[in-house]
Amino acid sequence: MTSIQINGLTKRFGTVVAVDNLSFEVAEGSITGFLGPNGAGKTTTLRMLLGLIEPTAGSSTIAGRPYRELVDPFHQVGAVLESTSFHPGRRARDHLRVLCTAAGLPPTRADEVLHEVGLADVGDRRVKGFSLGMRQRLGLAAALLGEPELLILDEPANGLDPEGVHWLRNFLRGYADRGRSVLVSSHLLAEIAQTVDDVVIVAKGRLVTQSSLADLAGRKKPGVWVRTPQAEALRQALGAKGIAAEVQTPDTLVAFEATTEAVGIAAAGAGAVIFEMTTQHFDLEEFFLELTTPTLNPTTEGGSR
Amino acid sequence: MKNLIRAELLKLRTTRMAYGLALAALAFVPISVIGAIVSAGKSGGGPALGTGEGIRGVMSAGSSGALTVLIIGILIMAGEFRHGTVTSTFLVSPNRGRVVAAKIATSALVGAAIALASSALTLAVALPWLATKHIHVDVFGHNVGFVLLGGIATMTIYGAVGVGVGSLIRNQMAAVGIALGWVLVAESLLIGFAHEIGRWTPGGAAAALEGVSRDGLLPMWGGAVLFVAYGVAFAVAGTRFTLRRDIS
Repeated sequence: MTSIQINGLTKRFGTVVAVDNLSFEVAEGSITGFLGPNGAGKTTTLRMLLGLIEPTAGSSTIAGRPYRELVDPFHQVGAVLESTSFHPGRRARDHLRVLCTAAGLPPTRADEVLHEVGLADVGDRRVKGFSLGMRQRLGLAAALLGEPELLILDEPANGLDPEGVHWLRNFLRGYADRGRSVLVSSHLLAEIAQTVDDVVIVAKGRLVTQSSLADLAGRKKPGVWVRTPQAEALRQALGAKGIAAEVQTPDTLVAFEATTEAVGIAAAGAGAVIFEMTTQHFDLEEFFLELTTPTLNPTTEGGSR
Repeated sequence: MKNLIRAELLKLRTTRMAYGLALAALAFVPISVIGAIVSAGKSGGGPALGTGEGIRGVMSAGSSGALTVLIIGILIMAGEFRHGTVTSTFLVSPNRGRVVAAKIATSALVGAAIALASSALTLAVALPWLATKHIHVDVFGHNVGFVLLGGIATMTIYGAVGVGVGSLIRNQMAAVGIALGWVLVAESLLIGFAHEIGRWTPGGAAAALEGVSRDGLLPMWGGAVLFVAYGVAFAVAGTRFTLRRDIS
């Protein structure tokens, strides 16, 4: 069953198209990374999904209904949208108690979630003294109050120290392992690559790709980097064997989707002298940059606009 | 709805702002009472204390915290935008109409509570003092009762108006600044120097409802009808505005 469904979602702010006919789905019981560079429309999309921003066109549902029509939104969805949305003069526990009261939950939940996110000792402190990382944890605590089936997190790793990021990863993994779903946005693939099952990649408000992380990694085969004074001759020899290659400087070359063995054989045939040869390992982050950089973005080339 | 009102009251109780403003509102009361009694019957002051009008002038000090209640109402709404807490508020209860209604109810309740305390304080200061001047005051007579009730009604409605203003002007500082400028400068001038316009302003209607005796104001019942209408208008406008607004 689908947990989140987004259909043709579009948002224009004046002449700026923040989200452009975006569609994707998030399956139940998975962690989905919602990725894209800053300004790609991730936050706007999440806010439309949560009924905070009215879309210009399109629709989105959670468990089959628009957020505003959910019977019990607090128990179905927990969302952490930004790290600053607290009254600075209110104590952390009081912030949570207010939400408990509004949602009809017992105020004891406040202490339970403070404990869960590691803020039990600072519940009595006013939020203005909190670091960015503590605010992120408090935001997460608020999202957990209703023990929701789905967590939506917007850039949750912002402001967390490495130990905090590690903690967050384990937390999300444990959460999804109990059959719940997580949608987590980030502008850094590396930050969540270890955590997510699926990725939805957006750039300039449009969907670039949606796939499982494993499929994404499989799309790009390793290449071979070669230093040789006969780079051009080697490129032709590789081409004759059906291996694409690119001469990068007069004496270096990259053979795409090739093995060192194949390149070595081609070099012997072409009489090229190899000074240096190494396999280029797949770099997910680089691939992500490639996908989201406008000139290389397949959906903006020959797009509908 | 009950949960939402309780949550709004808890929000007020868990920051210092509301306490400070409520204390400020109450602190105005004895000052206003003293001012009214000392200046009564003198040039520039109200009518002489022995008259019914004079007593009404003293009793209307009970609504001197009205402006503070207006500000509390503004902060209840605009403060959510200032601090970004509106996001979690609307996530917990995506029915925005109910959220705004709960805020209006809460603000009106707070206004009524401050007004009740103000009325008690007014009587506590004024009655013994007037007694030393051998001026008899019939607490249940219409001069006192109507004015105090009018003050309570005014401050209750001001609470609702404040939430409306805070919804329409999302920037908290701007909302408070504009409200203060309007009430203290624009309306004061209109009521003082252009009755025919001033009596129809919210402040003019409120003053009439408070039982302030002054030339050019509507009768008390007229002020009541008009000020209630203003309260409803601000509440409806604020709600409608908030329903469609993008929260980003």
